[in-house]
Formats: sequence, structure tokens, C-alpha cells
Amino acid sequence: MNKTLFVAAMLATSVTAFSQPRLPDNYYWQKLDNGLEVVVIENHKVPLATIEIAVKNGAYTEGPEYSGLSHLFEHMFFKANKDYPDQEKFIKRTEELGMIWNGTTGDERVNYFFTFDKDSLDAGLKFMNAAIRFPIYRTEDMQKERPVVDGEFQRAESDPYFQLWITVGKKVWGDLFTRKNPIGDHDIINSATPEKMMVIKDKYYFPNNSLLVITGDVKPAEAFAKAKAIFGDWASSGFNPHEKYPIPEFKPIEKTEYFIKESPIAQTPYVMYVWQGPDTRKDSIGTLAADVFSTVLGLNSSKWQQALVDKGLASYAGISYQTAAHVGPVQIFAVPNPGKLKEFTTEVTNQVSHFADADYFTDEQLQTAKDILRRNFIRANEKPSALSSTLTFWWCSASLDYYTDYMKSLMDVTREDIQNYLKKYIIGKPYVAGMIINEDMNKQLKVDEFFKN
Amino acid sequence: MVKLKLLRMKKIFQYTICLVALALPFAGSAQKQASPYDMTINGVKVIVQPSGNDIVVIQTIIKGGVQNYPASKAGIENLAINALTECGTLKDDKNSFKDKLDKVSAQVGGGSGMDFASFSLNCIKSDFDEVWPLYTDALTSPRFDPKEFDRIKQDAINNLRASESSPDNAINKLAKQTAFAGTNYAKEPQGTVASITALTPAETKKYWQSIFTRSRMVIVVVADLDKATIEQKVKALLSKVPAGAPFVEQKKSYTPAANSFKEEQRANATNYVRGIASGPLPGSPDYNAFSLAMSIFASRHFLEVRSKHGLSYAPQAWFSGGTTPYANLSVTTTEPDKYIAVARGLIDKVKKEGFTEDELKNEKTGFLTGIYYRNETNEAQAASLASNEVLHGNWKRSIQIKEDVDKVTLQQLNSVFNKYINNITWVYQGDPKKVTPTMYTQKETPKMPEEKKAF
Repeated sequence: MNKTLFVAAMLATSVTAFSQPRLPDNYYWQKLDNGLEVVVIENHKVPLATIEIAVKNGAYTEGPEYSGLSHLFEHMFFKANKDYPDQEKFIKRTEELGMIWNGTTGDERVNYFFTFDKDSLDAGLKFMNAAIRFPIYRTEDMQKERPVVDGEFQRAESDPYFQLWITVGKKVWGDLFTRKNPIGDHDIINSATPEKMMVIKDKYYFPNNSLLVITGDVKPAEAFAKAKAIFGDWASSGFNPHEKYPIPEFKPIEKTEYFIKESPIAQTPYVMYVWQGPDTRKDSIGTLAADVFSTVLGLNSSKWQQALVDKGLASYAGISYQTAAHVGPVQIFAVPNPGKLKEFTTEVTNQVSHFADADYFTDEQLQTAKDILRRNFIRANEKPSALSSTLTFWWCSASLDYYTDYMKSLMDVTREDIQNYLKKYIIGKPYVAGMIINEDMNKQLKVDEFFKN
Repeated sequence: MVKLKLLRMKKIFQYTICLVALALPFAGSAQKQASPYDMTINGVKVIVQPSGNDIVVIQTIIKGGVQNYPASKAGIENLAINALTECGTLKDDKNSFKDKLDKVSAQVGGGSGMDFASFSLNCIKSDFDEVWPLYTDALTSPRFDPKEFDRIKQDAINNLRASESSPDNAINKLAKQTAFAGTNYAKEPQGTVASITALTPAETKKYWQSIFTRSRMVIVVVADLDKATIEQKVKALLSKVPAGAPFVEQKKSYTPAANSFKEEQRANATNYVRGIASGPLPGSPDYNAFSLAMSIFASRHFLEVRSKHGLSYAPQAWFSGGTTPYANLSVTTTEPDKYIAVARGLIDKVKKEGFTEDELKNEKTGFLTGIYYRNETNEAQAASLASNEVLHGNWKRSIQIKEDVDKVTLQQLNSVFNKYINNITWVYQGDPKKVTPTMYTQKETPKMPEEKKAF
């Protein structure tokens, strides 16, 4: 159907008309009276449908006493509800529907998604409805799930990357680290109660804090009608959770700090440098400039890659920015060549000090980076079942308009935008640098003599 | 459940290309795709799946994998393939080659797994004419520049160590080396520090020339390119490739003679357990039934271990269906003795009572969803066609799966589970004090250990 006609038809039948966000072709939006936003992405590549509900919840809503509980809550979603009162029945239903299911918890989003045969859309939506609106929290179920969630934590802790990440994170975010750490705290997870689950539900699990996305081999009008019939009586909270429970602002890093962490499982060293970067609330252009600059540095021809990887100082050296509504981190992560560790750390400092130089990258490199981002965007849209999660990420951490305009906005990023970003967040700004290394290598290489401020 | 976004990371680990061992099909052309076909050019089978999109994926497959080299040379095939794009070509030095690829954001590269190597091109269709010459240059006229070779060799060693730091990789390696000791499957495609250190550019180049023959090749194209264009381009490529001696991929069963248990102390925050049992050979009549049986068993294993007993975040069971096929059980747990009592109890129950008609019916539906889900991209479709051709000698298996799966009966399902899930080779990394090895090795199923009193 012609998109304009379709939208007009939808508005005509809707009880309340809301202003339409900008969306890509084949994406359709509607807001139900209870505040639930619904997006249908029509894509007939395979005969499947994916439904996803994302909630603006996650680490950023957690003070120390709730650290990791958005994640435990997400696990409990798959445990029991009024229609499927234990996990055995829950899983049996997923099997009947031939369903692939999962959930994730991040800094600023918790999402739940199911993929199934296109003919099971109605059954899938009803299944989602029962789980998100009518969960059952039993002490007995929670006792079983706590070690499962803690086991996920322990798996992560068995990886040196995670050990480094969490140690750096504590220093970058200080007292508010819980708001950047979805995996949480062992003690809080292991003492969680059904009452705490209800507190989370009553704060955040409302239609006016959620986005439902239906993607795949579906007809938009039919999908909207089903969504409205099934989720239309989900009562709004009547308040904006993020106004009622505001997220505190992160304090800037006070001073640059270096540390070395010894770990017997680090068979080769990893190095990480982290700055506090821009966010979509306060510096949208900064977030885009960060993405373009990170791509420039990924080019084989970049000064960064030539100095570090081409010269054999590191097997991998990348910079990345994670888009966030509440201060996104800018992170350098590298696997240095242990035999050239000192040269590597010297060169990183040298390169960073030149990031904002006028000749640090050429116009041609800037254009190539943009072309790469444009082509990557085409590739990112190849897998229909992944489209929902992409959209919900941006909805939680930016907006639907930000997502729709993302590619065009990247193409508009100028050299000046990048310089502004670098000068505002990186050059001369405090950062945290960490290295994880095993004890023998640390002693042999005397890392503390050169890995310091 | 749950992959935290914070762990969505580490581009560095992309080098550990895991070629799909279980030859997963993709259930035929999706709705926007035309039918696939094959043709033989200069003795090489070329399989073409029109894609219905703007992405071009071409994979050149070299058969053999770990059968191609002795254990002392493990890693040579991966290093050779990495050198194709990292050590320049006769026309371009490494930087010139990589800069040209960057200009069009083309992905050219590959890796070698247990059963075959794959060298892939992924680009946007409008860039194809620029990327194809680079792709063929890399295959047919690699430079193996010694300076660049030294660099990628050091990177390979660093990456090996990084990979060994990962507990999942570490337990996987220990399991394979224990179960398949003395056979091809004990070899590590990524090599060892010792085997990689000893490799020279000249030797690696010579090795590449010895395996890059038409007799070992299959080419898979998933793209909307017309047949004449494909024919003309592939013909030009193959004119530069020697015929080579005939090659037949060997298949070998794995059947452990008894239960066994091997433990290793490792400073993990939890304990890693992996079990390896037998499985049917690719191309055998049991293959599809066993794939379904293991998938149903995986659900039961999840339910018992995680939902009912809360013993693990990640209880898994799956079938690795390569040239040496085997079944896997995997778990991370702080209570390994309780786990083995639950897991072995579950196996006994399935053997005694069998699966149910309902489970089979649901699995057939879910299996099909899974196939579509995993093969939504051109890259995944190409990998599926390639692995079915190499392992089963029949790429069409990729598109006939619905019919094949529909034919599996409950009796077959129960029969194959009983036939292949018997003795298990167990390995363990973590705290040895927490585990009782006899519970893993004893013939009879162990009882659930009693709760220890806190005082």
C-alpha cells in the first residue's frame, strides 16, 4: 500500500491522532490511546514474523540497591505468568509455536523478542501480552533463577575482557557505576525478592514506557488491529517514569588514572582507554561525529591503523562510541603485541594527542568513512528479524526520528563537527586507562614503569 | 537468554571463523528469491542462489580442512588464507589492496575450519566490478610479502593467546583434544604457538598453491547476477587454477569406548563442563533424525538443568555434524556434581521413555522457523549451500529440508538417540575440588548429591 495513504487510513481509524515520527519506507507507526507506541515493519523476505517489546528500563534506572535487578526481572519474564504458570508450560508454548525467543538487558533498554511462523502472529502477540502484563513472581522461582543470573555473571567474570571492562567502568562512572552496569551486583541478585520485582514493574512496565515492534511477513493494517485488540486495554501508568524517577547526571571524570590488573586468565594483555563522550539528549551532532571519527580510525590507511597495527604494535586497535541518552562512553580497546608493549602505549598517547590536528585525516578518508557507514547500513538491514532490535535500541537511547535521519545526518557531519567533538570530549580531557595482564608477563615487562599518567 | 549489550564487542575475535559444522539447510528460496541452480565450469561445481537484494556474496570453498595438513603444521591453512588479503598481491602491496577494499567497504577474507576453508567476497552489487578483480588477485596471485607475513604471524600468536583466555574457547579445545586424540579432529585449525612460530612465508605460499586446485573447489554465489556474467567471470578465474589431484573428503565416526573424565584447574569464576558423545555421519539415513533428536534433547536439558534445578545459566546440547560428527553437552555451573546427576538422569529417562509425538510435531515447526531465521542473509545462505555440498555431497539438501524433516518418525527419533548417546567423554575446567569424577565415569547413573549442611 502507498505509505501516505496507509498512514492516512490509520489515522482515520485511530481514536487519537498523534504526530507521526519520521520513519523509513515500509515502517508504519501508531500510538494507542494508552500510550503504547507500535511500529510495523513490513518485510516479506522470509515467511516469519518477529515481535518485540522494548521498555525504557535497564542499568540507568538502578541505584545500588537494585543493581542487576532489571536483568533479573528480564529473566523472570520467561518464568511464569497468568496463562503459563510455570516455566515448563511457558517453554512448551514456545515449542508449540515453533518460536525462537530471547531477551536482553542493557544500559538503557530491556527488550523481549519472539520469532515464529507468520501465521502465528495472533498467538505470538497474546503470548507476549501475558508475559509482559501478567507475570507471576514466586519466591521459589526466584530462588531458582538467582543462581542462573549469577551464573551468567560468573561466566562473564571468567573472561579477561569483562574483568577489564568492569574495573575501568567503576573508575569512569564513580558512585553511579551501577547505572552503567546491567549485570549488577552478586549480593543484590542473590537477595532479590518478589517485592523488588513488583517495584520495578510498577515503575517502568507500562504501555506509555514501551514500544511494540512487529516485523516480517505481515500486513500492517492487520498487525495494528491485532496489537490494538490485544494491548489496547493495558492501562497507562498516568505518569512519565523518567520524570517521576529522574536519572541522576554522571559526574565528569576528575583526573586521568592508569591501572594495571593482574589476572591469571589473561594470556595476552588487553588495554582499554575510556572517556565520557556525548549523548543524544545534549549533543546529537557530537554522537554522529563520534561514529564517523571511529569509522575513519578503522580505515587501513588511517594514521591510527598505520601507526599501531601496520607497524605490528597491536593485533587490533579500535575506537568506538556507544550511543546513549545518558553520556555514552568513548572507548579505545586494543590487543597489543606483548613484545612491543611500551612502544604501543607511547604511540597511543602520541596518536590521541594528534586526533584534532587539521591533517589527522584527509577529506578522502572522511568521505570513505561515510561511504562505509552507508554501505554498512544496507548490510544491517539485510536480516529482517534483527530490524526490530535495531529500532528499539534507537527508540530507547535517542528517538525514532534520530534513527530515520541517522544516515543522512552522518553524511552531513563535517570536519569541524569532528574537531568539536574531539576537543569537547577527548583532547586534554581526563580518562581512565587500564591493562589486564598475567602476573609473569607484568613482572617481566615491568609495565608499571611506562603504563602510567 | 540475554546477551548484554556491553558484551557486544571484540571485533578482534572475528578471526576465529567457525565454519558451520552442522550442515544447516535454509529451506529453499525465500519468497523474493528465484530458484537456485548449479553448473560445472572447468570441472568445478558452481552453485548459484539468486538473492533478491543488492548484496553480492561469493564463497570459494577449498575442501579438506584439518585433513590437509599434519598436526605439526596446524594453523598453516588459516595463516595462508589470512595472507591472501594481508600480505599483498602481485599487483598491489598490502596497503594498496586494503585501501581499495575500504573505498568500497567490501569484505574480502576467510578462514579454515575442521572440514573446509572458505574465502568470501561480500559487497554491494554496484561495487562488484571493482571488487571482483581484487578477490581473484588475492586467490590467484598472492604476494606473501615476508615483512607483512611476520606481522600477521605475530598477530596470529597474539590472537591464539587471546582466544585461550576465553573460557568457552578453552573448554572447547580441551574437549576436542581429549575426545579425538590421535585423529585429524584433534588438530586446531588456528594452530598452536609452536606450529605458527615455525611457519615461513615460502612454505605457507607453497602450501596454498598445493591446496588451491580445481579438484578441491566449490564456488557458491548468492547474488542477483546473471548466469552469463557468472559463467564468464568464474571461467576466467579458473583458467588460472591448476586441476590438481582428485580429492575425496574422508569421514570418520567417533564412538567412545567408555565414559571418561578429564579435569583441569583454571581460575574461572565458575566451572565449565563439556561432554562429547557419538553422532551419525553426514549423508547417512540417521542424520536428520539425530539433528531433531538433539534439538529436542537440548530443550529438555535446558528445562531440567536451568528451569527446574537452577544449576546453570547456559545449559546447552547440540549436534556438530561435520566429517567426524559428535553430540555435545555443555554447561557452566557452580555445582558440577548436581549437574551430572541431573543430566545423566535425563538421558536415562529419554532412553527409557522416549520422546513424544507432540515434541516431534513441535520440533518440526520450530526447526523450520530456525532454518529461515538463521538464513536470512546472503552470507548464511552461501555457507549453508557450501557445507551441504561438502559434507553431504548435495547442496540441494539446503532447500529440501521441509520434505526431509517431515519424513522423520518418532520411532526413528528414539532409535537414533539410543544408538548414539551412550558413552561420553567429559572434560572440566575450574575448581577440581568441586567435582567428583566418578559421578561422570561410573556405569550407573549417579544419585543427586545431598545438600551440605551449613553447620
